[in-house]
Amino acid sequence: MSRYITRLRMRRAYKWNGRPVSKDRKLKRQYYESMSISVEGKTEDVTVSLGQYILIEGDDDDNPFVAQLLKLYTDDSGKKKTAVVQWFVRMCEVPQNKRKLLGRDPHPQEIFFYQDRSCDNEVDGETILGAVQIEYVPVEDPFPKGKSKGILFVKLLWDTKSFRALNPELMQPPQSSKSPPPSSHGTQTRALPTPDLSVMKRAMSGILTRGSMSTGKMSSSEAESLHSASKLSAAKALSAKRRSRAVSGPHVRKKLDLCSPSKNMTRDDVLGEILDEHTEKTLTSKLNTSPTGRISISIRLTRLNLNEEECVSPLSSHSPDKPRLTAYDKDDATSVFLGVQPIGDDDPEPLISTGRTPRKREATPRSAGLRGLKARTPSRRKDALREPALAALAEEEHEYSPVQTAATPCSKRKSAQLESSRIRKQLNLLGNTVDLQSDGEDGDDDDCFVPAKIDLQSSSDEEEEAKIDSEDELIVKKRRGSGTSRSTEKTRVSARTPRKTPSKKTAPATPRTPRHATPSIPSRSAPAKKPGNVLEEARVSCQKLQETTVLLVDELDLLWTRKQNVMYNLFDWPTRRNARLVVLTIANTMDLPERIMINRVASRLGLTRMSFQPYTFKQLQQIITSRLNRVKAFEEDALQLVSRKVAALSGDARRCLDICRRATEICEHSGSQKNSSGLVGMSHVMEALDEMFSSSYIAAIRCASVQEQLFLRAVIAEFRRLGLEEATFQQVFVQHQALCRVEGLQPVNVSEGLTVCQRLGSCRLLLLEGSRLDLFLRIRLNVSQDDVLFALKAD
Amino acid sequence: VLCHRLVYLHVFIMHCQSNAQKLLRERLCHQKLPDRPVGLDSQYKHLLELLRRTAVHGESNSILIVDPRGSGKTMVRSIKRCTPLLMTRDKIALKEITRQLHLENVVGDKVFGSFAENLAFLLEALKKGDKSSSRPVLFVLDEFDLFAHHKNQTLLYNLLDVSQSAQTPVAVVGLTCRLDVLELLEKRVKSRFSHRQIHLFSSLSFSQYVDVVRAQLSLPPDFPDPKFSDEWNHSKLCEEKSVEEILKRHFNASKDFCALHSLLFLAVSRVSVSRSTLREADLLEASRLISADSKANVLHGENLETDFYYRHDFSISSL
Repeated sequence: MSRYITRLRMRRAYKWNGRPVSKDRKLKRQYYESMSISVEGKTEDVTVSLGQYILIEGDDDDNPFVAQLLKLYTDDSGKKKTAVVQWFVRMCEVPQNKRKLLGRDPHPQEIFFYQDRSCDNEVDGETILGAVQIEYVPVEDPFPKGKSKGILFVKLLWDTKSFRALNPELMQPPQSSKSPPPSSHGTQTRALPTPDLSVMKRAMSGILTRGSMSTGKMSSSEAESLHSASKLSAAKALSAKRRSRAVSGPHVRKKLDLCSPSKNMTRDDVLGEILDEHTEKTLTSKLNTSPTGRISISIRLTRLNLNEEECVSPLSSHSPDKPRLTAYDKDDATSVFLGVQPIGDDDPEPLISTGRTPRKREATPRSAGLRGLKARTPSRRKDALREPALAALAEEEHEYSPVQTAATPCSKRKSAQLESSRIRKQLNLLGNTVDLQSDGEDGDDDDCFVPAKIDLQSSSDEEEEAKIDSEDELIVKKRRGSGTSRSTEKTRVSARTPRKTPSKKTAPATPRTPRHATPSIPSRSAPAKKPGNVLEEARVSCQKLQETTVLLVDELDLLWTRKQNVMYNLFDWPTRRNARLVVLTIANTMDLPERIMINRVASRLGLTRMSFQPYTFKQLQQIITSRLNRVKAFEEDALQLVSRKVAALSGDARRCLDICRRATEICEHSGSQKNSSGLVGMSHVMEALDEMFSSSYIAAIRCASVQEQLFLRAVIAEFRRLGLEEATFQQVFVQHQALCRVEGLQPVNVSEGLTVCQRLGSCRLLLLEGSRLDLFLRIRLNVSQDDVLFALKAD
Repeated sequence: VLCHRLVYLHVFIMHCQSNAQKLLRERLCHQKLPDRPVGLDSQYKHLLELLRRTAVHGESNSILIVDPRGSGKTMVRSIKRCTPLLMTRDKIALKEITRQLHLENVVGDKVFGSFAENLAFLLEALKKGDKSSSRPVLFVLDEFDLFAHHKNQTLLYNLLDVSQSAQTPVAVVGLTCRLDVLELLEKRVKSRFSHRQIHLFSSLSFSQYVDVVRAQLSLPPDFPDPKFSDEWNHSKLCEEKSVEEILKRHFNASKDFCALHSLLFLAVSRVSVSRSTLREADLLEASRLISADSKANVLHGENLETDFYYRHDFSISSL
């Protein structure tokens, strides 16, 4: 983590210019017109005033965020300076896969007006770096030449979907911000990019329908549109209406009606209910500030804490350009293994000791990777995520390319081998970074869930008299290999995506033993420390840093202990005051809470459960194609066959990739003999499938020795005679001897017979009791009688 | 002088004979493995190819070798192995792995209190490397099925998880004789296993079996006395009718080489100075001893030797 600490940080001092121009008593805010920034070591102060274009500190020091300053205010205490801005995006912040929508090469100094409601536009005033000059260029005109490097040009508008021509009027700061806001203008804050309720509702309904549908029916674009508010005019109208009504003040707080929702309610139900309630309340403009009788999960996703930018910055110091490299950065060894860790790596008192135990298998690369993957677009949409993921893929390409070039002088065969080995590597699980697009819709659910929760938390935390924290646990049920691990990884990424949300650190926890699931207490250095204490300390530090922690627990069922203390603690934490903790747990038992949890644990469990369907064949196909990364290695039919076969059996993506790997191997071997197309074809895939799915019992029987075969035959004969599926050794032995005579072999004696029987038992062709029973050993077949007869007949 | 020479000759013959006997006994008893398995060429190649891929290309793999007892699994385990018969718990297995990976010096004075710490340390060590830089590690888990009985299958889960992820290239080779071993694995473990299996069912024919017997009984070309070894190697023992019958009987009972070895061991032990070559009668007697019904022998109060061999044989087969 040294890199974070050593980051060069210029100290800047921020100061208001002049008197507050207006005051909002209700919100206890004072609005200012300008602010001056004095940078250490420079004599001149920089002044930024409303309407000016500013640079805001971001992940990338070379390319700070660009925005237009709309409002400046301070809260009651006067300590926190907040700025409301209109964002602009640079080309590098636009998701990679959308860049080509521009249709031309971007000008190096070009930026785009950013239009996205879902993006939070309040920033901490102390992240403002300074002013910048932006020039509007009409669409038809060429970019002016010979201007200084400092000037940025804006031509188009980016609405997270497409580039459009920018109406220059949008560039003019809105009147309301110039004129002192009227004191009754409490809604100004509400006008921030609230994710529209209707939009959320629509998303909910979308999720619901998707839940009932089999997965994979909805195209990803459709899913995306659920997130995008810009398209939905109805939603716009509704939110405008709501805003105009000036409903709830910031102190409105909902309390959870504890008795109402049943334990098994799904997330959708709960959220839907809350949403219903909220819209109802807001639309009827029943402004109710009393804190009782409301729900704790407040849905104001609007305002986020302003200090949080501060927390983000130490993490954002390194360039996100190389997610792959950072993911394997060994320097990050001081990261936590599991548990609650304050984000402040440069926190003077690391309360939860980190890195003392070497127990952090996955945590390090992933969490580091997250930092690397921190999206730079001011969007919380998935596209932002895809960009680094794709970049990583591309980089992998790079990583191999020297090998490739080195191979060119070698023989063709060798290069072919390298190629296929590369394909296999790509097919190797986790060899690549997450390929998000293949995750289907389940991922989307997850996607909106975690950020929502996080936003909920932060919004409730921002109230100083916060009484109850919203919290939730989500049990993600999964089928094996259905990508939960991967999609949670994505979740972790996505949870970080919103630009101005508090930075979160997720701590993936695959417990080794239940005891060690207590968050990273180095067991020897602090043996007496109870997990609760650690959490308490973490909480204190978290509060300082204003951040939310997402705790991800994989393989929850392994955390089962007799007293279930571990699970109890785990689910108890988020219910504590100010815990600011989201607990995400993963298990592959569908009815885990009902089956193993005792009451006090189950009651602490959140209401939200999300089940992951096994992959459908289309998704599997998509996964393989994305892994192959556009390398043509498989025939289309072969891909179809693999994905359909696996989808029909288990839907296990790991299995699917394994089969593909095996098929490439088979292809490589056969390819050296007769050079056909060089692609992996149906025959290779069939062979691989046969290898993986064929039962070995029949082959085993065919290869058994004569006496063993005779013994099996005797077993079946005895079963038929008895009409039972079980016989003692003695009975079978009599049959065996008779069969020996029939076959003209010397009859075996008891010892030999037992030996044969035991050999068959050790292969598990027969199921035997303990051998001490000798003659009265009971024998059962572990294979069906038909299989045995078939195998024996074929001789 | 003549007498002297006679004594000398006698001593010499005795020397040769005892030498030959020692060599053969060692071969049969110590289970000295042949260089290549018999009749399993394709499987052998497959495994080598897989390991080569791990070693050269740094791909992680996991494979299971399934076969009945005594058909050549053991030949595989030569590099690193864990035998669960000794390692009744994952914990001990882990320590063994650490030892074999020569990581003790890294562990140094750290006394690992708990299993989890130990495992975490190992995983950390494995994780440190990436595809390109670190040396591939081969884990051979003998009696794989017994590892599956460990609680939660923690060791398997973690080993296979490493093999599925892009960390240090790891090849996990499991050896087992149970055909249904995959059903023992938990779902989470099963999903991480690559489902490659090599079956070493020996489809050995009788003539091959006889060839193996001949090869096992012949003396190597670098035997100190070529005359003796010539004589020994050219005996027509295997062609004799009764011997063939005995071998056929054993072949029918099992194609297992271990059983064959114990038969030949008994026969070779009967060679003495007076009868310097292996004869038909030796084999007959050995066969009689081996296939005698132990219970009948006990009732006869006959020789304890047989009983010993019975037990020996039995303990092998009941493993």
